[in-house]
Amino acid sequence: MKLAEDSFLADEFLRQLINVGEVDILVGLATHNNARTIGPIVHAIQDGLLRWFPRERAVIVNADGGSRDGTPQLVTGVSIDDVRAASNLHALRTLHSVSTRYAGSPASGVAMRNVLAAAELLHAKACVMISPESVNIEPQWLSKLLGPISRDGFDLVTPTYRRHKFEGLLITNLVYPMTRALYGLRIREPYSPEFAFSGRLATQFLGQGHWNEGTGDVGVELRLTLAAITGKYRVCQSLLGEKTHVERHAADLVPALRKTVGTLFSSLGADFPVWSAVTASERVPTTGADAEVLLEPLRINRKRMREMFLTGVSELVSVFQSILSPSTFAELQRIASLEEEEFRYPAELWVKTVYEFAASYQKSVISRDHIIQALAPLFRGRVFTFLIENRSSSASDVENNIEDLCLEFERLKPYLLQMWSTRE
Amino acid sequence: MPLSKDALWYKDAIIYQVHVRTFHDSNSDGIGDFQGLEEKLDYLSDLGVTAIWLMPFFPSPLRDDGYDIADYNAVHSSYGTLEDFRKLLGSAHDRGIRIIIEMVLNHTSDQHPWFEESRSSQDNARRDWYVWSDTDTRYQGTRIIFLDTEKSNWAWDPISKSFYWHRFFSHQPDLNYDNPAVREQMWDVMKFWLEMGVDGFRLDAVPYLVEREGTSCENLPETHAVLKELRSKLDEQFPGRMLLAEANQWPADLRPYFGDGDEFHMAFHFPLMPRMFMALKLEDRKPITEILQQTPEIPSACQWSLFLRNHDELTLEMVTDLERDYMYDTYAQSKTMRLNLGIRRRLAPLLDNDRRSIELMNGMLMSLPGTPIIYYGDEIGMGDNTNLGDRNGVRTPMQWNGASNGGFSTASPERLYAPLIQDPVYGYPAVNVLSQKTSGHSLLNWMQRLITVRRSTGVFGRGSIEFLHPANHRILAYVRSFDNETVLVVNNLSSTAQAVELDLRRYKGNIPIEMFGRNMFPRVGDVPYLLTMGPYQFYWFRLRRI
Repeated sequence: MKLAEDSFLADEFLRQLINVGEVDILVGLATHNNARTIGPIVHAIQDGLLRWFPRERAVIVNADGGSRDGTPQLVTGVSIDDVRAASNLHALRTLHSVSTRYAGSPASGVAMRNVLAAAELLHAKACVMISPESVNIEPQWLSKLLGPISRDGFDLVTPTYRRHKFEGLLITNLVYPMTRALYGLRIREPYSPEFAFSGRLATQFLGQGHWNEGTGDVGVELRLTLAAITGKYRVCQSLLGEKTHVERHAADLVPALRKTVGTLFSSLGADFPVWSAVTASERVPTTGADAEVLLEPLRINRKRMREMFLTGVSELVSVFQSILSPSTFAELQRIASLEEEEFRYPAELWVKTVYEFAASYQKSVISRDHIIQALAPLFRGRVFTFLIENRSSSASDVENNIEDLCLEFERLKPYLLQMWSTRE
Repeated sequence: MPLSKDALWYKDAIIYQVHVRTFHDSNSDGIGDFQGLEEKLDYLSDLGVTAIWLMPFFPSPLRDDGYDIADYNAVHSSYGTLEDFRKLLGSAHDRGIRIIIEMVLNHTSDQHPWFEESRSSQDNARRDWYVWSDTDTRYQGTRIIFLDTEKSNWAWDPISKSFYWHRFFSHQPDLNYDNPAVREQMWDVMKFWLEMGVDGFRLDAVPYLVEREGTSCENLPETHAVLKELRSKLDEQFPGRMLLAEANQWPADLRPYFGDGDEFHMAFHFPLMPRMFMALKLEDRKPITEILQQTPEIPSACQWSLFLRNHDELTLEMVTDLERDYMYDTYAQSKTMRLNLGIRRRLAPLLDNDRRSIELMNGMLMSLPGTPIIYYGDEIGMGDNTNLGDRNGVRTPMQWNGASNGGFSTASPERLYAPLIQDPVYGYPAVNVLSQKTSGHSLLNWMQRLITVRRSTGVFGRGSIEFLHPANHRILAYVRSFDNETVLVVNNLSSTAQAVELDLRRYKGNIPIEMFGRNMFPRVGDVPYLLTMGPYQFYWFRLRRI
């Protein structure tokens, strides 16, 4: 019997938490070299706390992955007196800011684990994670995210955003519709950089055994959402406003797929008893719109998307043959042969593709990471189609198209179930 | 015991605030009197009190508990005679106890002969002794102090058919300090009592003496000029006597009342008091440290006066709206507890009769920089009665024993000036001096020990203060220093046990000696000094280098 084991919490962090004591609100900031943006974000957090939660005991917990630009010092050094002077607000209480450098390389999962541990030790009632890149954060985000937790007893509050119709395509074309179809809740942003959760959800999630399995480091945000759903916690959404646009590069897609799709696929096995019983999706309570679409012009290299799709289909034949059904792969090859003006990756084919990938992931027909990587070119083909089909669409048309895709995911869910049992 | 000859005696004083009427009735008329108070001087002396602040005892219609004075040179017949007062004064001085009396400079009763003359006609010699106007539009924007009862600072006088100015109740017309005759007269009044031997005055409502158009009519330079004039005469003719200012103002506005050491000797630190209560509920030292950091330096011969409660409502004038709402929500959930901009409750009920937090608050009262004032009855944890009107609920008879009338009076109960507290928790059978004297661990005995320790050193009354800033915000820690003596005070503001690490490197090598038990604690070294503290616990450590 092991009587003692190493704690992942650093002694110095623990000492800081002892000094903080019990809190009502915990704001988590996972950082790594965010000096450029972090100052105003912390100001906005302090402003939001002073404005909407002046009586609550609050702490900002910074879990840092080894910044070399002074990010942690900026977090803990921001004086609430600056906020008071600028906003003419009065602070009843001391607002603590504590910081810890967690071991290992920067990983959102490890950061999150430190934040969850702090939430449990401090008996935090309501917690919120804020992205250090959300430069257009407004103080009111604190109220929109924490209010439903502290006032209305919800356990998870996910954001909805006002964003360009061509942003967040991985979410709108895969993660959202698949999560919705399988888990039964229409959570528009199941993987988001800011979200709020209750202390009880934090404790339950912290206690789940996945932290030591290697997978605990990746996609923890989505994993928390799924845990809330499967644990039958109360979930709602809150419209925050415009999402900060973050430049993404082609090389970012695979890591993004790992965090989102990889996490989703890897959860399906353990969560099978839950999602297999879901027959329809339902709305979650939402403050504000589910989403708001911006339409101003945005430059995207559609051509490059299709080229990467074609390259993938031609170079990964053996990989796709081990993942996909013969009919699905044949259809992929057929559309790959179409001229650009005729090329379409239709919704039904896309859904079948994703479901077959999920089933293959479950059986580990090849290395699971290779399965995820192989999805990248196919996703780009789907993106190309989405761009073409919505290039002149109005906001409501875009929403309708996304809704149609969601319904397709729901309609074909029996197909996934059939493959699941067949593979078994 | 002779009175100390130290000109700065007020810095070391332990002041006890009491109304004669409330303390002890010697002649069975149901009203406390001078003789009754005199009979209880040994009690106060044993407690450790070195000065008594007597609330107004002048002839008065008693529509504001004696703050509406009808004759400045006499005493109300209910309390005895001038001779009785002189006897009380002498007996107190024999025990080394000084007497500070109330002096209401700002206004009189509307039944004072001066006002009766002033209103009788516009040509009367004393017409200009008060502030009259044909309209009620002068001094627009001046705040109303008694918000619950007054709608204006002007009142219509049907006799002289004009308006008169009153910052308090309408039956308390303001004196006109622009009139030299008024200033002269009020000095004569003070001189009357000083010649009798009183040791000082608590000057009531001093910010409001002078009015000027286009101002807040508070804290005006002209008001300070009047006060400096009084102080100058006092120093010249009665050195060693003390003036205590009642000025409910922000620290920056309070500072001028000390002048350059040529105005008041002492002033109540009003803004600190509600913040002590706030800090306790918040379990956060921030309200206390902030207000003290905003408190300006005062002349070396001057002194702040600290208190937890008094005869008035716990005032929430000098706090922000956010703070006021918080105080109401946490200390006065029932609206009957609220009056004007304050809370009319005694100390023990405010703290839910929690002995530990009562001790902590008194510990801070005795260790923060200033002279402490104990409100009568709070040393035994008396309760209140919010069903009595105005602020009368905190002015009930002193509870001496569990017998009839709580030992306050042998009169028939219905003759008492006010009913005794009788509920099962705070009622006189449960809370009284006799039972607490016979109980070794009573609040009374604890207060006596607290005062004894406080008086064992001059550091609390005369020392500097330096705040420590431990990361645990629930701990209020500071160092008091005077001459060669250093005392470390550590207060746990939390209802739960706390650990705190104090940076005491400056005091490396010192041995902390806990002042109540006189036990040594580990020597201070290089590493942060760790203390673990129980709920609401506090420590006073004398730091000794041996």
